[in-house]
Amino acid sequence: MERIVLPGDVVWEREVFASGTWVKDGITYAKVPGMLRDEKFIPLEMAYRPKVGDNVVGIVVDERNAGYMVDLNLPYNGVIPTRKVRISLRLGGMVYGKIAFVDEVGNVDIGEVDKLPAGKLITVPASKVPRIIGKKSSMLNQIRDISGSSVFVGNNGYIWIGQKGNMQLVMKALDLIIRRAHTTGLTDQVAKYLDENR
Amino acid sequence: METPELIKDGKRLDGRALDGLRPIRIMAGVLKEAEGSAFVEWGGNKVICGIYGPRECIPKHDASPYKSLLKCRYTMSPFASLEEHGRSGPNRRSTEISKVIREAFDSVVMSGEFPKTQIDIYVDVLQAEGGTRIAAIAAAAVALANAGIPMKDMISGVAVGKIGGQLAVDLGKAEDNLGESDMPIAFTHRGKEIVFLQMDGKLTPEELSRNIDAAMEASDKVYALQAEALRKSYDSEGGQELEM
Repeated sequence: MERIVLPGDVVWEREVFASGTWVKDGITYAKVPGMLRDEKFIPLEMAYRPKVGDNVVGIVVDERNAGYMVDLNLPYNGVIPTRKVRISLRLGGMVYGKIAFVDEVGNVDIGEVDKLPAGKLITVPASKVPRIIGKKSSMLNQIRDISGSSVFVGNNGYIWIGQKGNMQLVMKALDLIIRRAHTTGLTDQVAKYLDENR
Repeated sequence: METPELIKDGKRLDGRALDGLRPIRIMAGVLKEAEGSAFVEWGGNKVICGIYGPRECIPKHDASPYKSLLKCRYTMSPFASLEEHGRSGPNRRSTEISKVIREAFDSVVMSGEFPKTQIDIYVDVLQAEGGTRIAAIAAAAVALANAGIPMKDMISGVAVGKIGGQLAVDLGKAEDNLGESDMPIAFTHRGKEIVFLQMDGKLTPEELSRNIDAAMEASDKVYALQAEALRKSYDSEGGQELEM
C-alpha cells in the first residue's frame, strides 16, 4: 500500500521524527512531496543538506593557505583543511571524500580525501542518490559490473564516471533510475535495461 | 466608455456561472535546469515558474545566518497582453506583485533549514487575461514542492469580486477592468490561513466575508488540480513535456 503525500498533508496522527516531515501539536506533517509506503515516509524531492559522514564528490576550485576549496553542488564551497588532510591537489581536479564536519550555517569540512583521475562529472538530484546506490550498493555494483566503468556517487548529487568502460550506458542507466526513482523493483528494471543495451 | 452587460440570465460573458472557475491546467517539472518548475494555464493566462536554490546569497551582506532569503521576480512578457504591459522588465506593477508573492510564501517556506542562502522564485507571464498574480501563486506553490523546498503547507488562491452588482468567482480580464470590485486572495490549504489578500474597488463588510467564503471553496478546487499535477509528475516516466 503506497500513496503520494504532499507538503502540509498529515503523514501520521502521532509524533514521528522522520526525514522530510515536521511535527506540530502531536501530529506529523509532510514538508516535501514524498511516498508513504508500508508506514515509511520516503521523500521524493528534497533540497540537499550536508551531514557528517556523507560521501561526496567535488571539484577543487581554489587553493588557500588553510586548504583547498571544493565545489560540492552546495550553496557554498567545502574546505579540505591541509592541516588535517595531508594531500596535494590540482585546481580543477576531482576528489572523493567524506564530510568530516558541518557547522551551524552549513560550512563543510571534508576528510578522508581521495583523488579521482580524469573522468566525467554529472549532476543528479540529491534526493535520488539513495536509489542510485541501492540497498547495500546493489544498484551501483550492478551498473559497475555490466558497464565495466568505475562510478563514484556523492550524496551531494555529483557522480564521477571513469573513462574506461561504457560511459554512455552508465549515463542512460542513471537517467532511467532518476525518472523511475519512485517505483518498486527498480534494480530488476535496471538489470533488464542494462542487459538489453550492453 | 459604455460598460457592457457583465451578467446576462445569471451567466457571465464567457458563459460561466457566477461561482464557476475558468478551465485550469497545471503541470509540474517542465523545466530541465531549474530545481523545480511548473506551468499553469488558467483560462487565457499562461504562467511559467522556475525555482532556483537554495544557493549562494547575493549580495552577501543581505544573507542571514538564521534563514534562507526568499526572493521572487514576477515579470510579464512584452507580448503577454495588450495595453499598458507593452514592455518587459521591472515596473511599478511587477515590483508590487513580486513583493506580495514573496510575502505569501514567506509564511509557509521553512527557510530556517538553509542559513546564509537564497531561494529564487521566477514567475514569467507568457499570456495574460486577468488574474495573473493568482495563477503565479498557484504555479509557484507547485514549483516549490517540485523543487523539494520544505513547506509547512501548500498555497492556492483565486480572485473573487463583484460584477454587475453580484458577487463572482475568478474574474476574467473584462470583469476585472469593468466590474465594481476585484479581490485576489490566497489561502494555505490545510490551515485555511489567508496569506495574500488585495482589493480594488468597494465591497461592504458583509460582501467581503461572503467573498472570502466563496474564495475558500474555489481555492480548494484549485488545490485539487495542483495536487493532481504533482502526483502526475510521479506517473510511470516522471517529468512532463510542455505542450501548448
